[in-house]
Parts: sequence; C-alpha cells; structure tokens
Amino acid sequence: MEQSIVGLVQNETIKLLRRRRFLVVVLILAILIPIFTYAQYRSVVTAQERMGTTDWRPLLTQQIVDMQNRLASSRLPEEWRDLIKVRIAQQQYYLDHDINPMAPGGPTFARGFMDQAISMFLPMIIVVLAVDLVSSEFSEGTVKLLLTRPVRRWKVLTSKYITLLLFTSLTVLTTLILAYLLSGVVFGYSGWDLPILTGFEVSGGELETSGAFMLPQWQFLLMQYGLGWFVCLVVATVTLMVSVLVRSAAAGMGIMMAALISGTILTQMASSWESSKYLFVVNLQLTDYLNGTLPPIKGMTLPFSLTVLSVWAIAALIIAYATFIRRDVTS
Amino acid sequence: MAETVLSVKGLQKAIGKKPIIHDITFDVFAGEVFGFLGPNGAGKTTTIRMLVGLAKADGGDIRIGGISLQEQFPQAIAQVGCIVENPELYKFLTGRENLEQFARMSGGITPERIEEIVRFVDLERAIDDKVKTYSLGMRQRLGIAQALLHRPKILILDEPTNGLDPAGIRELRQFIRKLAEEEGLAVFISSHLLSEIEMMCDRVAIISQGKVISVGLVKELMEQFADQVDWTIPSSHIQKAEEILRTLQAVTDVWVVSEECLKSRMDIEKVSEANQALVNGGIPVMGIATKTVTLEDLFLTLTGGGGSHGAEHSGARTK
Ligand SMILES: Nc1ncnc2c1ncn2[C@@H]1O[C@H](COP(=O)(O)OP(=O)(O)O)[C@@H](O)[C@H]1O
Ligand SMILES: [Mg+2]
Repeated sequence: MEQSIVGLVQNETIKLLRRRRFLVVVLILAILIPIFTYAQYRSVVTAQERMGTTDWRPLLTQQIVDMQNRLASSRLPEEWRDLIKVRIAQQQYYLDHDINPMAPGGPTFARGFMDQAISMFLPMIIVVLAVDLVSSEFSEGTVKLLLTRPVRRWKVLTSKYITLLLFTSLTVLTTLILAYLLSGVVFGYSGWDLPILTGFEVSGGELETSGAFMLPQWQFLLMQYGLGWFVCLVVATVTLMVSVLVRSAAAGMGIMMAALISGTILTQMASSWESSKYLFVVNLQLTDYLNGTLPPIKGMTLPFSLTVLSVWAIAALIIAYATFIRRDVTS
Repeated sequence: MAETVLSVKGLQKAIGKKPIIHDITFDVFAGEVFGFLGPNGAGKTTTIRMLVGLAKADGGDIRIGGISLQEQFPQAIAQVGCIVENPELYKFLTGRENLEQFARMSGGITPERIEEIVRFVDLERAIDDKVKTYSLGMRQRLGIAQALLHRPKILILDEPTNGLDPAGIRELRQFIRKLAEEEGLAVFISSHLLSEIEMMCDRVAIISQGKVISVGLVKELMEQFADQVDWTIPSSHIQKAEEILRTLQAVTDVWVVSEECLKSRMDIEKVSEANQALVNGGIPVMGIATKTVTLEDLFLTLTGGGGSHGAEHSGARTK
C-alpha cells in the first residue's frame, strides 16, 4: 500500500524538468557567466593599462597606497576605517609572500564568482527553481490529483522537498562547472593549486593573521562552494515555505525578491541595528568569513551565521509541513 | 443487498465560523449510480471534498469499503477514483505521462493497464500529445481514465456534465451506466439538474443547505413529482374527463382543482395521447397547460415550504 518515495521523486523530477525550470536556470548561468567573464577581463586590462605593466606587484602596491591614502582622510567613518585596515593587512601579506591574489584563470574566476553570487544571484536562481513548486499545483488545480491518491500528505511534500534539494545541489555544481569552463576560454584553465590565504579571525575590528594559513585554491573552492551550497539549501527551504503559503507564483517571487534585496541593503547599512543579524538574508555572505572581510554587523561569525540559517530553515520546514498537511483544498 | 461501498454518517463541516454542512448521512452500494442532487450552494462540492480527502470533516464518519477515511487514509482512498469539479491535469505533459504520474502514486499499475484504460476511454490516437492540445471532451475522458486507472470500487464525479455539449452528455451518461452495470462499480454523481439525475441515477440523495432532506429510488421520486398538466374543461364534462384520464397509463394522478380546471400528474410527452383520449370520449377540451416540476418545486415540497402539489410554472417543457 505504501508507495515508495522514489517513484514520487521521479514524478516531481519529471514535472520540474518539463516545466523547464532547470533549463531556465542553466540558461541564465550560461548567459551571465560570459558577461561577467568579459567584465572581469576588461577590468584586468584597464588596470594593466593604467599601471602600464602586466606585473601585478606594482598594482597591488598601488592598491595598498590608495587605501592608506583613504585612511589618512579624516572624514572616513569608523567602520570603514576598520575595514580598510583589514584589507591593507591582507594585501600586504600577499605582497610579502609573493602571492598574486588576482592571478587570472578559470578556478580564480569561479572563486570570485561565488563571492559575488552567494548572497543575491544564486539565491535568486534558486527562487526561480522553487517558487511555484507547491503553489502551481494549487493554482492549476492539480493538487486535487496529488492529494486523492493513496499517499499521505507529508510524503507528497517530502518528495517535492527532496527533488528541490537535488536540483539545488545540481545548480550549485553547474555554477562551478560553467564558471570554470566558460571563463577558462579567456583566462585559461590553470590555477587549481594557487595558494589562497584563509583562516583569518576578526576580533574587535582587528584582523588576526596569527591563525591565517595557505590553502591550495581547489580546497578553498571546495569550502567556498560548500558554503554556497548550504546557503542555497536554506534559500530553497524558505522558498518552499513561501510556495506553500502563497497561492500565486508572482506573489511568491515578489516576497523572495524583496527579502533578498532588503538583505543586501541591510548588510550595507545595518551595522548600527544589531538585531538585524538574526535575519537570514543578512547572513548569506558566508564566503566573506573565508576571505577575512569584516562582517556587516559586529558579533557575526561563521558558526553564528550557520546557526541562524539552520534555525530559519528548520522553522520554515515546520511551517511548510504543518500548513500543507492541515490545509483544506478549496478552489 | 449489494456491498456498501461508501458509507457517510453525520458529516459536518464549517468553513470559518459558518456551518456549511450540517448532517449528511447516506450509503452507496456497489453497482449503482447514486445521485447527489441539490441547488448551487447546497454543499455538494464541499461534501465531495471531504469524501476524497481534500478537506477534513469536523464531525461524522466516512467509510469506503468499510475502511475509515479519516483513520486509514491511504487504504480507504485507494478504492476511490474521482474528478472534483473540472478534470485538472498536467497540461505540459502528454496524456500518457499524466497517467504514468498517477500510476506511480497508486502503485501496482502495469503499462498494460495503462494501455487498457486508454483504449477504454478511446484516447489511443491522442495519448502521446500534450494535454494542452486536448479538447474539453478529451480532457474529460483522460480525467476519467486517471480516475479509473487503479480499479477503484467507487467513482466520484462532481457535476460531470458541466461544460459538455448534449452529445457529450449523452456519451457520458451511457458510459456511466456501463460502468455501473457491467463493471459493478458504484458511481456517485452530484448535479443541480433534476433531469440529469432522473436519466442517470438509480438512487438519489437530495441535499439542501447542507442537509440531506430525502434519500430514495429515483423512480419513486419521479412518480411522486411527475410533471403536471392543467386541463380546462366545461364544468359539465369535468367528472367524465377525470374518469377518462384515470384510465390512462401515462397519468399517475388526477384531481379537480376548480369548476373548470382539472389537473393531472403525467409524462408530458403523452399529452397529445391524453388529449386524443378525451376528445374521443366526447370531452370538449378548451385548454391545455403543461407545467414542469422543477428542482425548486421539489425542494419546496420536501421542505414543507410549498403546497402538496408543487409550485406552478406555466409553459411547455422543451426536452
Ligand atoms: N472556501 C469557502 N469559503 C466560504 N464559504 C464557502 C467556501 N466554499 C464554499 N462555501 C460556501 O459553502 C456553500 C456550499 O458550497 P458548495 O459546496 O460549493 O456548493 P455546491 O457544490 O452544492 O454548489 C456555499 O454557500 C458556499 O458559499
Ligand atoms: Mg459545486
């Protein structure tokens, strides 16, 4: 009598693919990554032209000098001052140890891409994937077929959630592969072993380099994409809840966009509103902890952000299941 | 007596604070077509939603093949096939892919069974086309195919003739009779049209404002509420006319209303025969008015709101 969850996941996979959701995601990536690649290429070229050299050391030295000049300006707010000090210490470390932090190459691009994409672009793509997973069944009326079969409701939702997690993982993997392959056309495919500096601790606005150490870039990428994957799973889970609660895909999309965008705005200006650090959208920029960038709000650490995100995901799941199991279907 | 396939006892449901379903009780047996008759807003769809597990009952008991729907949902619902309101299908999938979706959810359905049901509803040629290219009639048939795919004991249809043309309705009617008579399926059909229930169903539950007000054989109900004909006849002949009408088979009841008016309850198609009989008997018939008993009349009578012979509506019925 009890149907296997595998068959249900197969059903959901077929529906998701035939709705062309994953195709849209891959197309977005395949169009935007070349654009970002070109932008990156232009900025490297421009920087080299300005310096009149392709040697990166003068470039890095110039950046340090630039930042020191800004520090000297007295009108700089205190938070910015801390941030710039941290940056200078970091750049100085690269210079002293003869590491080119901007060394182009597919892996380096993929790393930079994840840094940029983790808090906005990737979550947005996951929202596209997840936003009508449940609500479309309600708006199209097909939920009537789904819930009048010999399958309990929690199992129906679980099959949807498993499918969503599978495709979310696949999206992160596709991002890595496409970022590497497409940017490699311009920057080359080497750079997996490039040493990357990580392990910074930030305490009281000071960058602690004592714990810093080198990682081959491929290991760093693994950690970075692992964090990106985690962020995407959390966003997928929250979007699933929205999809259960809201009937229309447009409304769900609006809610998630608004949340993500306000997250970005808050991380830029919320340092004085401390409790905003408990919002999940403020905690998406996990890769910054690897890079040694100052967190947007004091007191935020990697374990803190992971905990906040997990709590949000669990709460979203509980709400999604409770609502889906109890709700009467009326058209 | 045949097996009881669906048994509903004391069903109750409120939406928000407003009670919609008060006390619904009836049984449906194997091999019969059971009508669920009530005007719009009576609570038919709400009841059906509870029967198929889309909504939870606030009180009462639903058993399918003896198994409680509330307690053992998968086991109970496995015996039900249904179309609630419109047949909703995945339009971006083909007919076959739709059936495969349901097969994976129901379990134990072979590809041969899918072929068989596709032949049964006569969709062989279109089954590999996307459902969005289907006509309403084809969607209806695919809907029936998905409802019957897992060999249910009872088929539940909510106003299945909505949106169908007369040919489609006739086809559906024959199909439903065939299912009940040849396959021994119980079929539960809701409708707000008395004529539809009359043509399709063996038994009927009449529902009004969330309550069942009568359950019984359709034939008995129709005899009680057959259409009426008013005869205007000179008072001198009225007694003779009454006697003649009484002898006719098509006439179930005759009574004198006033000095010049006689009323008979009868099949309206037989009016000209009755007229012929009266004329042959030397009665100068001065006027004939036919009145169709509508669902509203029936309700007025059953709920005690109207006269014992139903409210009057003039004009011939077009059938
Ligand atoms: N979602 C709802 N919210 C509030 N009232 C509802 C809802 N659905 C149905 N009703 C009310 O319940 C009653 C029965 O509706 P319904 O079961 O659809 O009737 P029927 O199918 O017999 O036409 C109607 O009075 C309707 O207004
Ligand atoms: Mg209805």
